[in-house]
Amino acid sequence: MKRTRPIIVIAIAAAAVVIAGSIAIGMTTMSRSDAATPLPTDAVKTTLPGLSAASGAPELASIRLLHPRAGEVRQAAGPFDDRFAIDGLAFDGTTVRGALRVTSDVSAVLDLEVIAGFYDAGGTFIGTARFVYHAVDDGPADPVTGTPVESIPFQATVPAEFVGRAVSASVGVPVLVNE
Amino acid sequence: MRRRIPVLTSATLITALVATAMVAATAGVASAQGDPGGNQGRAKNVIYLLGDGMGRTHVTAARERYYGTDGKLTMETLPSQGFISTYAVEKLSGQPGSTNFHPNPVTDSASAATAWSSGVKTYNAALGVDATGTVTPTIMELAKKAGFRTGNVSTAEVTDATPAGQMSHALARGCQGPAYSDAACQDLAITGAALPTSDIRVTPIADQIARNGTADVILGGGLGRFDAADETALKDQGYSVLGSPTSQTVATKTDLAAATGQKVFGLFNRGNLTIEKAKQDNPAAVQAQEPTLPEMTSKALELLTREPTSKEKSSGKGFYLQIEGALIDKRSHANDAAQTLGEMKAFDDAVKVAKDFAAKDGNTLVIVTADHECAGFNIIEKGTFTNAEASAPPANVDSGNTANNSTPTRPRNVLDPTRSTGIINGSGAANPKNFASATFRIPSDPAGVVDGSPEASLWLTYLSGNHTGADVPVYAFGPGSAQLEGTIDNIALFDIVGHALRITK
Repeated sequence: MKRTRPIIVIAIAAAAVVIAGSIAIGMTTMSRSDAATPLPTDAVKTTLPGLSAASGAPELASIRLLHPRAGEVRQAAGPFDDRFAIDGLAFDGTTVRGALRVTSDVSAVLDLEVIAGFYDAGGTFIGTARFVYHAVDDGPADPVTGTPVESIPFQATVPAEFVGRAVSASVGVPVLVNE
Repeated sequence: MRRRIPVLTSATLITALVATAMVAATAGVASAQGDPGGNQGRAKNVIYLLGDGMGRTHVTAARERYYGTDGKLTMETLPSQGFISTYAVEKLSGQPGSTNFHPNPVTDSASAATAWSSGVKTYNAALGVDATGTVTPTIMELAKKAGFRTGNVSTAEVTDATPAGQMSHALARGCQGPAYSDAACQDLAITGAALPTSDIRVTPIADQIARNGTADVILGGGLGRFDAADETALKDQGYSVLGSPTSQTVATKTDLAAATGQKVFGLFNRGNLTIEKAKQDNPAAVQAQEPTLPEMTSKALELLTREPTSKEKSSGKGFYLQIEGALIDKRSHANDAAQTLGEMKAFDDAVKVAKDFAAKDGNTLVIVTADHECAGFNIIEKGTFTNAEASAPPANVDSGNTANNSTPTRPRNVLDPTRSTGIINGSGAANPKNFASATFRIPSDPAGVVDGSPEASLWLTYLSGNHTGADVPVYAFGPGSAQLEGTIDNIALFDIVGHALRITK
């Protein structure tokens, strides 16, 4: 009598193992086959409803609300007043100067815009000039310590049409970005 | 007579058994990594935690400080570990492998954020655009479009590079708002001529964040960049706005705890959030009302996983959440080791929140990494001094073996008393030109040993005040986490996350 039972048992067991392995491999294949999901082309919102495009340079309404006395230089309110101090602020009749020192973080100044307002003898606003700083790369570093430079000297000169009329000034900061 | 099993049948049996064993072993390894067998890198949720400026030594130093030399931070317990290369490219450069590829070995946070958010190398300062200024979709935008819930949490202003890299597009990271300016927003080196101000790439980032709806949950700092029009735009989209951009009233942790809804916008400082050490040292200060990073992480997870009400829509999909510990970098720039360590601890505590969620959920991929290393943080041998404290670099001549000599000749390494005036958080604290190390006790130090003393075991120092080009560590847990083992480039993170969520090829 042929002793086929052991052979049949082994064959069935082998087949079961192969089938189980195939199922596992098949699941893998099924997972990979559903990977071809196209990227949504409209995922980026390039238009923002309700937002008017900016026009002109940034302004500070507070500049026009000040009425400094002759010889006076005042700071106009802006959105970043809690992040900096101004050292050495002075107006010599032609140019307003100072140094903006960041007090909120030790990090490079990437962008700074200072608006200088000028006023006549009656304290009436007559015009503005600007100082704009934009860091190249990551901003300047102190050559000794290597740490980011936090104090940015600035100056703004009275526009030609106001020379002789401007007797006081103000400064405000509408743009300030640290790294 | 016994019938022998044919050789061919035996071979077939053995082959099948081995193959099955290999499949089972792979599944077993995946399970140990938190990766349920058969998921093949797919996950319902992804939590991406970014320690800004966190290098390998930041991790080691924090571990030794808080858990001892034989301890581990939570992130170090994640089973998959590797390194990430972080280099950027120059303006107008091609991608790696192209003929006009021009790498920049040291990245900033913006180009690094674009790398993992959009899968492209770009120039420093660029957000959501490649090096030619072309807009590239971000993982968060793709996830949102595909029906996932999304969250973006940071201890920095949310208009800052890392959070902004997922939910805005800008030629220059300085274009943050509230006001547009040519200098801060345009980049003529990229575009030639100025773009119209209606172009998204020169639209202030705060305006974009307030209107594009990319992130359902936005928590962090930077209230000063948002205004009344932004608040209206947020509310019109259904956001629950904590605090008020209109009145510049910051939100508090009490507001955060009570927040609910599908969309939540909460900013807790007009600028960056306050560092943890300062909050802990001044518990009565108003800044102590700011939530911690782990608190914001926990709340974000709660909001992103809450069951929708009958009136709310639900896709049934999971979420993508980015968490940034931003102040590690900022305090490293400042070379303040105590503050750096405090921010590392807070970040790792946020990692624990994420890991605990993922372990319970079973279908969440957690990735913890950094954008770059900051300041060359290092641990030096107790009682030694760094090059910065010396009058010259170490000696490089050996009279006994001139083969060792190098040039220029340096006979000896001498401490310069004007550059090293005592441990900087101890006896040398008063001198702003002091390059000496800061020292910290570790748990194994004897009782009585204090920070700032020469007896403290952990001596920490910095190389500079800027980023370095060192590879950064990565730790991962969950489905597909094995992909983060070894060394990969930061742009590969985009594909790994996109594949996990089935939103990229």
